[in-house]
Amino acid sequence: MERIMSDEKLLKIKDLKKSFSGIYALSDINFDLIKGEIHCLVGENGAGKSTFMKILSGAYIPDSGDINILGENYTKLNPNLSKSLGISIIYQENDLVQNMSIAENIFIGNEIKKNVFFYDIKTAINKTSQFIKELGIKLNPLDKVADISVADKQFVKILKALVTNPKILIMDEPTSMFNIKDAKKVLDLVKRIADKGVGIIYISHFLEEVREIADRISVIRDGKSISTYENSSKNIDLRVITKDMVGRSIDSFYTREKNQIGDIVLEVKDLKLYEEFEPISFSLKRGEILGFSGMVGSGRTEIVRAITGADSFYSGEVYINGSLVKIKSPKDSIKEGFAHITEDRQALGLGLRASVLDNIILVAIGKIFKGLFNNVKKQKEAISSLINDLHIKVPSVNTEVIYLSGGNQQKVVLAKWLLMDQNIYIFDEPTRGIDIGAKSEFYSQMSKLCKEGKSIIMISSDMPELISMSDRVLVIRDHKIETELIGDEINEENIIEKALGVN
Amino acid sequence: MKENKIILKDQRMLLLFVIFAIIACVTVINPKFITIKNIVTIFGQISVIGVLTMAMSMLLISGGIDLSLGNIMALSSVVMAALLAKGQNIFIVIFCGVITGLVCGLLNGLIIAKSKCIPLIITLGTSQIFYGLSLTISKGRIMSFSGVFDVLSKTKFFGVFPAMLIVLILMIILAYILMNKTIVGKRLMAIGGNEKNAYLCGIEIDKYKILIYSLSGIFCSVAAIVFSARIDSVTANAGLGYETSALTAAIIGGVTFEGGKGSIAGAFLGCILMGVISNAMNILQVETYIQTIITGIIIAAAVVFSNVASMRGRKC
Repeated sequence: MERIMSDEKLLKIKDLKKSFSGIYALSDINFDLIKGEIHCLVGENGAGKSTFMKILSGAYIPDSGDINILGENYTKLNPNLSKSLGISIIYQENDLVQNMSIAENIFIGNEIKKNVFFYDIKTAINKTSQFIKELGIKLNPLDKVADISVADKQFVKILKALVTNPKILIMDEPTSMFNIKDAKKVLDLVKRIADKGVGIIYISHFLEEVREIADRISVIRDGKSISTYENSSKNIDLRVITKDMVGRSIDSFYTREKNQIGDIVLEVKDLKLYEEFEPISFSLKRGEILGFSGMVGSGRTEIVRAITGADSFYSGEVYINGSLVKIKSPKDSIKEGFAHITEDRQALGLGLRASVLDNIILVAIGKIFKGLFNNVKKQKEAISSLINDLHIKVPSVNTEVIYLSGGNQQKVVLAKWLLMDQNIYIFDEPTRGIDIGAKSEFYSQMSKLCKEGKSIIMISSDMPELISMSDRVLVIRDHKIETELIGDEINEENIIEKALGVN
Repeated sequence: MKENKIILKDQRMLLLFVIFAIIACVTVINPKFITIKNIVTIFGQISVIGVLTMAMSMLLISGGIDLSLGNIMALSSVVMAALLAKGQNIFIVIFCGVITGLVCGLLNGLIIAKSKCIPLIITLGTSQIFYGLSLTISKGRIMSFSGVFDVLSKTKFFGVFPAMLIVLILMIILAYILMNKTIVGKRLMAIGGNEKNAYLCGIEIDKYKILIYSLSGIFCSVAAIVFSARIDSVTANAGLGYETSALTAAIIGGVTFEGGKGSIAGAFLGCILMGVISNAMNILQVETYIQTIITGIIIAAAVVFSNVASMRGRKC
């Protein structure tokens, strides 16, 4: 069905900029949205999609730029203003209350009042049924959310976003957890909503689905608007899109001095995280950096968490230097020589309220620093050279890490593992959200480790980093190793096409 | 941010200041307050709660909490009284009292570590079990110790300091050394600060949780011995409210619900402040009912204060 679109501009964004502690997350965003249009927004992990979205929701205040909504100009929004202007957002996370009915969930925060005290559930149910009918989906407003399917939950989230009669609807990866059949149902619903004249900004990693529903497609990269394509005939060449997503200038790459690569150190055989997954096998050699690429949610992190004992897995074997090892907990994996620099340092890698000293010695106490009592003097001596080598800027080793910058915090995490002198280092998004200086410090430390004969697995969404640092890259998609890239094959087009499943 | 840091750092200094301010004010009104006899009385009054506060603080710093502390103490005391009544040797009595505390703490620790449930709810439940056991053993009656623990309450060093004060001081030193000087203490603090991080750093979280709950159980039985010595009798509901007092003292002393933070010394100062306030109200002849209201206000104020510092401008 061909939609009739008016020229009415719902949204017009000009030169939008937003930085966090001096680093630009968005540096030059231009975007517009027409009534009744589905405008897809694509870009790599960290390209700035979610920052852009948070500015529209009023959660972030932009540094500069014009936001024009329905002809009115704004320099910034706030959550209430954004809502009252008719912007509604459906986030990836499940924000439904499991124990409430569909009708109750849909009206959370917009409850229909019978009088000052009571809530009018009858009208809520009627309105919900009416909604459901209008959109042509099958749901019972009285069903508990906990009892319905994942796809139906997504419908409820969409209905909830529609309850305020939005003019602009923003959807963040609405189909990312679905199989093809369910995804199709959601896409059909999205089209019907656009038919009613709502302008939709649709964010997705699934380019084929983007091609199927988009009227226009905009690509953003490194916080900049790169291009916008017409897609009214639904047959755009996806290679054009991926090229725009990845094209990058040479100066963002780091030159790593490659070193001699030795024998196999780590071998993972037939690893299955869950029974229904396909088995995964790969190996890591001495002095090598093995890159793990893939979209967020592809299973990259889960694989390393299973190997290092952070999570349990269904089946599979891990060999270190040729012998089978049993790793049941991080304690075991540390004994086998693993170091695991996790993603999300604040949640998983640091005690924010503990001192720099206490954070760095946490793995080593009881292992390097033995005995019943804590020998603070010895510990301070041991870490002082690390603090110098890594150029960690701290007023004192007793400073709580919460007061450090992101880069220095991440260096503290690295120092903790370097102190242990392990053999296999796993870096999960090692340079996310840290400044250029700290980034290059990380790269030189990684190169140094490899020269010393250590081995590295590096999970990264940062393309230049992945390409310039890795000796080999495994592209993970849907909990499978999609492909292995070596040497010249490691380039952005190859990685992104495999990661997105474009053929 | 900097301002909050100073407040947090100096919470102990602030406490000392408040304590001395209260002492000064009350002394002006009634000079009897500052006599050595009254100071000894204050410490006597906080000797039981002091030991329990140490247990509570160690748990809070490790990211846990135990609302059954009061009832573990009561059960331990009841067990000792029952054995005494059966004519058992005093050493066997004490040994069994300590084992009772240990087993109760171990049970809490095991359930919390293995089920991964919220300690607050678990210990609320086990607290009832311990209370029920105390009722069953004592059959709801008052049980006497017939002065067997008089050594602790009646022996006075330098003519004034009762021996049980030494017990309290020993327990404080023990808790202080464990949390501040040992590797175990460092690991407990790391678990309290960020459990996921501690686990990924190879720390066996379950083991340490069981350890600290068991140890706090033993602290409860020491509190039970001090309690028995002071009162010379016990009933099943003797521990009622002790866990909230211990919690309050710890929170006033700068230990937080978040875990990973706080000091044993601060918690002890919190304890002293509570003792001083309660004693001052007695000396100033504040009516008992009003005393309860004032104590409640202090609890709420302490929690608000500790939270204001930790929210640091966050709104949610």
